[in-house]
Amino acid sequence: MILRPTAALGVLALCATLAAPSVPVSAAGDTILFGSAVSLTGSLTKEGHLTQEGYEFWKTYTNAHGGIKVGGKTYKVDIKYYDDESKPASAASLAERLIDQDHVNFILGPYGSGTAFTVAQMVERKKIPMVEGNGAAEKIFSQGFRYTFAVLSPAKRYLEGVLDIGKHQKPAAQTVAITAASDSFSQEVAQGASEWATAHGMKVVYNNKYPDTATDVSSIISAVKATNPDIILNAGHLQDALLVHKGLKEQNVSAKIYGYSVGPDTPDFTNSLGKDANDVLGGAQWSDAVKYHGDAGFYNSAKAYAKAFEDAYHHRPDYHNAESTAACLAFQYAIQAAGSLDTEKVRDALAKLDKTTFFGILKFDSRGINVFKPMVVNQIQNGRLVTVYPPGLAEAKVKYPAPPWGQR
Amino acid sequence: MPVASTGAALRRIGLGGITGNRTALFIALGLMVLLLLVPMVLPGYQTLFRTTLVFVALAYGWNIIGGYTGYVSFGNMVFFGLGTYCAALLSARGVDNLFADVALAVIVNAAFAAIIGFPVLRLKGHYFGIATLGTALAVTDIVGNLDVFGGTGGLALKQVDEAHFSIYYYAAWLVAAGAIAITFLVARSKLGYAFVAIRENEDAAAVLGISATKYKIIAWAISAAIAGAAGAVYARGNGFVDPSIAFAEDFNVYPIVMTILGGTGTVAGPFVGALILSAVNETLGHTFLKLHSLFFGAVIVLVVLLLPRGLVWLIGLRGGMRTWLKSLEQYKA
Amino acid sequence: MHLLAQDLVNGILAGGILAVVALGFSLVWGIMNIINLAHGAFIMLGAYVTWQLFTSFHLDPFLSLPVSFVVLFALGYLIQRHLINWVARAPVLTTFLITFGLSLLIVNVALLIWTGDTRGVTTAYSGSNFTVAGITVPWAKLYTLLAALIITAVLYVWLHRSKTGRAIRATSMDIGAAQLAGVRVTQIFAIVYGLGAGLAGVAGTLISLSYSLNPSMGQPFLIKGFVVCVLGGLGSVEGALVGGLVYGIVEAFASQIDLTIGTQHISGTGLQDAVALVVLLIVLMVRPTGIMGRATA
Repeated sequence: MILRPTAALGVLALCATLAAPSVPVSAAGDTILFGSAVSLTGSLTKEGHLTQEGYEFWKTYTNAHGGIKVGGKTYKVDIKYYDDESKPASAASLAERLIDQDHVNFILGPYGSGTAFTVAQMVERKKIPMVEGNGAAEKIFSQGFRYTFAVLSPAKRYLEGVLDIGKHQKPAAQTVAITAASDSFSQEVAQGASEWATAHGMKVVYNNKYPDTATDVSSIISAVKATNPDIILNAGHLQDALLVHKGLKEQNVSAKIYGYSVGPDTPDFTNSLGKDANDVLGGAQWSDAVKYHGDAGFYNSAKAYAKAFEDAYHHRPDYHNAESTAACLAFQYAIQAAGSLDTEKVRDALAKLDKTTFFGILKFDSRGINVFKPMVVNQIQNGRLVTVYPPGLAEAKVKYPAPPWGQR
Repeated sequence: MPVASTGAALRRIGLGGITGNRTALFIALGLMVLLLLVPMVLPGYQTLFRTTLVFVALAYGWNIIGGYTGYVSFGNMVFFGLGTYCAALLSARGVDNLFADVALAVIVNAAFAAIIGFPVLRLKGHYFGIATLGTALAVTDIVGNLDVFGGTGGLALKQVDEAHFSIYYYAAWLVAAGAIAITFLVARSKLGYAFVAIRENEDAAAVLGISATKYKIIAWAISAAIAGAAGAVYARGNGFVDPSIAFAEDFNVYPIVMTILGGTGTVAGPFVGALILSAVNETLGHTFLKLHSLFFGAVIVLVVLLLPRGLVWLIGLRGGMRTWLKSLEQYKA
Repeated sequence: MHLLAQDLVNGILAGGILAVVALGFSLVWGIMNIINLAHGAFIMLGAYVTWQLFTSFHLDPFLSLPVSFVVLFALGYLIQRHLINWVARAPVLTTFLITFGLSLLIVNVALLIWTGDTRGVTTAYSGSNFTVAGITVPWAKLYTLLAALIITAVLYVWLHRSKTGRAIRATSMDIGAAQLAGVRVTQIFAIVYGLGAGLAGVAGTLISLSYSLNPSMGQPFLIKGFVVCVLGGLGSVEGALVGGLVYGIVEAFASQIDLTIGTQHISGTGLQDAVALVVLLIVLMVRPTGIMGRATA
């Protein structure tokens, strides 16, 4: 009997907890409030943290350098985070909370294409602009969304540079084997690679996918071996890249080029594989070797950014950090160009944006994705990551062909 | 065998009163009514509550086959997933009507459950559970590989505009309410007695004239229909489905977790479990940015240790502390 | 043809690991009627123990097998004795829920200790292989299979010959009778759970040779473990081995499927799970308690 009133109280307390919103930081004060759902736990923890670092780095710099001037008034910037646990459904619900409950001005994107997509749907409904730097799947941009902008190059481009390198060798690499994870990002990367190869006269001799949750890819590797390709590509994530590369060595499958969409750029790849990681090529959105000269108001070269970032976070920035910072910069320039915090004006300013930064050009096509910035290709040479493509931005020559397994 | 004698026979062997706890039921219904206010009062949480209502419906669906009939299914998400695709395929063909979505989802899933039920429900206990898990995983693979389902790229669904968006919330609410109502009606009917009889002792039930096969399939079909309906409204509210969304593991595990937390085989259990779980998850998310998952796990462990019979058992309990302390001893090895 | 032979070998090698994964899970499930959702987390911990020893002390992974077994056994024993024991006789769903919570706890603690960075264990002999009759066999995978076979054999003998082993089997058949015969059930349960965790740790060590490490790595193995257990027959050591090998082989062969129906391209590599599960269902129809399962489920 004592528990009935207790139960009732419990229920009331429950309602109270849910009804009490976090005190909304006034966006009408002198702070521009950005909201972001990032994966701080779950399968994309590492990348979520990199994204957050990129955002925070920009925030610290901007606040230390006078904030953002809008229409004669100076604003500080702040970012409110929630953890989406690497789940797209959570990301959308958190975006809704940031907009309707916490009253943020703008949304900074999450990590990953799945989460970016659901948040894009939400901001489209709520008509709040979002800039993201970590979701490259084109399906986000084929829905006619007007409020989502991505500063990174589309997924289909990831491995084109690798193929281009192969094509320009003498003799040119001819045959390509593509292995891909089954998620939509990897599938787009694979599709882009396959289309490029076929369009440029190369022969795709193997093109198959494996489940995300694969624990063993030996059979795929055996099948690839049977086709004896010049180039082996993997469209997947770090876990797959490691699984595939180890598997290739185990079954003695040597190719002239190994190209992985994700992997080589992460220090974990080299740490895990040691010498075997050498000569692997990876598509990347950015590297600290690129020679762009950015506009004033932020670090204007990749090297300057990289050094400052490393001082602050004690690790070299990878492209996930850089693309996140770039997303913030896009907002900054758009807000300044619009001269106001009005969401429609900022959205229009984003659509017209055309600026060069340490990250590359920030410009969006009519669908909202940055097709104007080229992907770079990095190669691991003697344990170090160097940029080898495109020719104008390269800091070293590509090592080709990769030596067979027996001779490393 | 006519109803009266089956019911009487069951009461003789000690079964009865399976609608469960009245107090808990009234609290659940009261909260359901309160939930109607969410789109107006807490618009920033609409998506969250809509998802919670979908989970409530799924929990009830699972409770029918898992809680009442005792056939623990680890694959009910397959019905949810198929329900989402029913709505998506209708949308792709230009039919944008929530009733049509739900109707198709119900029919398709009840039929699917009935068909695979014949072989799969012959298995007992753990083997049944894994067979259902296997079915769900297999269907996930197959759907992801067929172009007609949009492959891994998925399918988009046409939605109403922002001003009318709360219709999806109310649709989810209706499905959840329907699931609760169905459970209540089933629990008091001949069907309910048959289900429980099968759970307690399938062979004895057969002796009493209850055709186990027939009732198991009915239970699973009802379960599937509810899950399918939940999927259909979820898909419309979400605007997009792909295999990773439709067959997400959360939709498999959480309804089970919620039902167990609340109390299996009761009418109020799944609802109480769903709400408490969501509330705890949210509160932790607010308080701890990075450690909430850890505390969530700790909370679940604590709740199971302290309330092994589920939360509903706690509500309206007579005897207070002593009964509670005694309950902690009964499951020790 | 030659590709099929290579697939068969690949499948057997992969199946060895799945067998070890399933061993511990199957024991706990079959003997204690507990679906241990924390099994995946234990696998992960075993892998990290190996990684830590490899990175800090350059200890070869195979030499760390006894260490990960002992560490995880101790952990499992303590968890069962002081936590799970409170609900050890509860319905299977209650223990299901508590192990679910435990799994979340353990994975997140691991996340705190080792962060989300992906780790790997790459030894000097990793990747080295030999070729016989045109079939390439990686050494590390072969050693893993041998380890799996040895572990299974040792476990089988221990369960059937040793006093504790017999006590365990008696408990699984009839708790009341076992107690009457003087078996201390609480102690047995703790040992069995500890054993399950220890075997998971061993599986984790073997897995770390080919698979990269992160706190959520145990999940896909847990799911496969579910299926392999049931395929082979719950609570049966031989069953776990047979189930694992069969599953591995089926998955490998499934990847050869390559058909085009109209415009629909169906490739087996994306359907590995589906094929394996169809096989499971067929097996269960013919033998409802698994390939080697006993009639008393």
